Amino acid sequence: MEVIDNILNGFAVALSWKNVFFVFIGVLAGTVIGMLPGLGPISAIAIMIPLSYGMEPASALILMAGVYYGAIFGGSTSSILLNAPGVSGTVATSFDGYPLAKQGKAGKALAIAAISSFGGGTISVFALMLVAPMMASFATQFGPTEYFALMFLGLSAISSLSEGSTIKALISAVIGLMVASVGRDLLTGTARFTFGSVNLLDGIDFLVIALGLFALAEVTNLVLTRNKVNTGNESEVGSLRITKQEAKEISGPIARHSVLGFIIGVLPGAGATISSFLSYIAEKRISKNPESFGKGNIKGLAAPEASNNAATSGAFVPLLTLGIPGSGTTAVLLGALLVAGVTPGPLLMQDEPNVFWGVIASMYLGNIFLLILNLPLIPLIAKILYIPKRLLISLVIVFCLIGVYGISFNTFDLYLLLGFGILGYVMRLLSFPAAPLILAFILGGMMETSFRQALIISKGDYLTFIQSPISAVLIAVSVLSLLLPLLKSKMKKS
Amino acid sequence: MLNSLNRKVSIVIFLIATLYLFYSYQIEPSRFAKIDADVMPKGLGFLLIVLSVLLFIENKEETEQEKAKRSLTKEEVGLLLLIVLFVIGYILLLEIIGFIIVTILFLTATSRVLGYTNWIKMLIVFVTFTLVIYFSFNELLGLSLPSGILPF
Repeated sequence: MEVIDNILNGFAVALSWKNVFFVFIGVLAGTVIGMLPGLGPISAIAIMIPLSYGMEPASALILMAGVYYGAIFGGSTSSILLNAPGVSGTVATSFDGYPLAKQGKAGKALAIAAISSFGGGTISVFALMLVAPMMASFATQFGPTEYFALMFLGLSAISSLSEGSTIKALISAVIGLMVASVGRDLLTGTARFTFGSVNLLDGIDFLVIALGLFALAEVTNLVLTRNKVNTGNESEVGSLRITKQEAKEISGPIARHSVLGFIIGVLPGAGATISSFLSYIAEKRISKNPESFGKGNIKGLAAPEASNNAATSGAFVPLLTLGIPGSGTTAVLLGALLVAGVTPGPLLMQDEPNVFWGVIASMYLGNIFLLILNLPLIPLIAKILYIPKRLLISLVIVFCLIGVYGISFNTFDLYLLLGFGILGYVMRLLSFPAAPLILAFILGGMMETSFRQALIISKGDYLTFIQSPISAVLIAVSVLSLLLPLLKSKMKKS
Repeated sequence: MLNSLNRKVSIVIFLIATLYLFYSYQIEPSRFAKIDADVMPKGLGFLLIVLSVLLFIENKEETEQEKAKRSLTKEEVGLLLLIVLFVIGYILLLEIIGFIIVTILFLTATSRVLGYTNWIKMLIVFVTFTLVIYFSFNELLGLSLPSGILPF
């Protein structure tokens, strides 16, 4: 009954008054930032990292996890009320959520979204509890060869699944790896690409990249849309009441898409965005009257909401048990963990059960908080959407600058931050996705280390990557995932 | 031949890759390592060259949506550049004049150029924000932000 002991232990950690407070702060901040159109979960987590300086690892992780699923939760509010998704994971929410709001049923839509999210979140945390230990014990067999192959799969999956050109996504990923190679080499200590500068010897801090590439670059969005006044009327939210019939109707989609979302969340490269779209399409396909989708069908609202929240819990499986993030968002989360002094991986569960089980238990709590926050307080929270952007922009910029200054106390890093902000903006202009870059940057050091360790073990034989069966399968899947978009475009032409 | 944007971009990426490769060949060899520090960078450099060539060959037309993203008025570009200048000013002055004054100045200047006009509201929000950040960093997190010319 070791598992039950562990879970109880986790709840003891999560229910300490301090951690309850952090869960609350995390989900609240996540909801608020996620609600603001333009600022996504990556920015939300990156902006909150400075707050976690000096915290205990378990508390820091609990806080950051709360920000993450809080942001997905909050994104749905602006999708429904304004048809302006706060995060890409809630785009599908707006398909049926916004029509409902236009019919004067915003309150009902928000309530359905909150309940579906709660369902998706809770069911998937349960799944996380079951799957994570199995995954961790499986991963203890992994050596450097398998780790390298796994990270390779993560990078190729995120590149082939990102929107637009796969080649551009791959270029982003390679540039991320290149940025990661700046600084002292981990194995030999040789300086690389430092151009004689002491400031670059330790490499570039991940917070510089996360805040620059995402938060700062996304601020430019706010600058360009600052004159657009949010139209929507918070007084007309309407009743939050859901009838028994409706509750019965959405229970099916919630159950189905919690499982689907969780599975997609576990897979590398995919996440809340892809799972919510897939769930929406799947629900429409099995529906008896698919033509009502897009016109305010409550099932079409419940499906993506359950799914995107389930996917966020799913994403914790590879992050916590393998120490390998599958998406840009979890990459930043990993960075936040490293700042707090936690190294996730198969040994985390054994070595620091408090952290591991504490976080999982805190997710149940966080989902309850989100339900409480989002049901009665919705009209109040929705006011956040009406904060003048002109004030907000300068505050976000200062937050980024201070976040970076707080770790290094060095103005050199601030110039780097500005540089990455500009790079992030230019990449958006030229339609290069930024998520592969941050994922590659975070994985870069680990990938190179395991690559070289694998080669040292095999005495320089590159075939080692296809001789290990696990690694061979992973690499084959990666290559397939890269060829898939190519095949698809060929099929379209013919 | 260079008429499309993606082709121009691919040339820039090709140049970045070459530069990166050039510096990869400057990495000092280590006597002890079997697989040395330059293996991965060299591989990445060549990989990026291949990708830039692929981008050049692919030569995809931009979609309308992608074009719309790039259409900025001169005014907007000017505004973004002005904000970048403000940020540079902030960084330059942060350690000289100190966090509190520079932050309040930066916040006010940025919001003004963005067209926010309510002075009273602005000052209340900004002064509170700055002081809360300053004291919570100093007292709660134990990280002291530069006090500059102010005595505290």
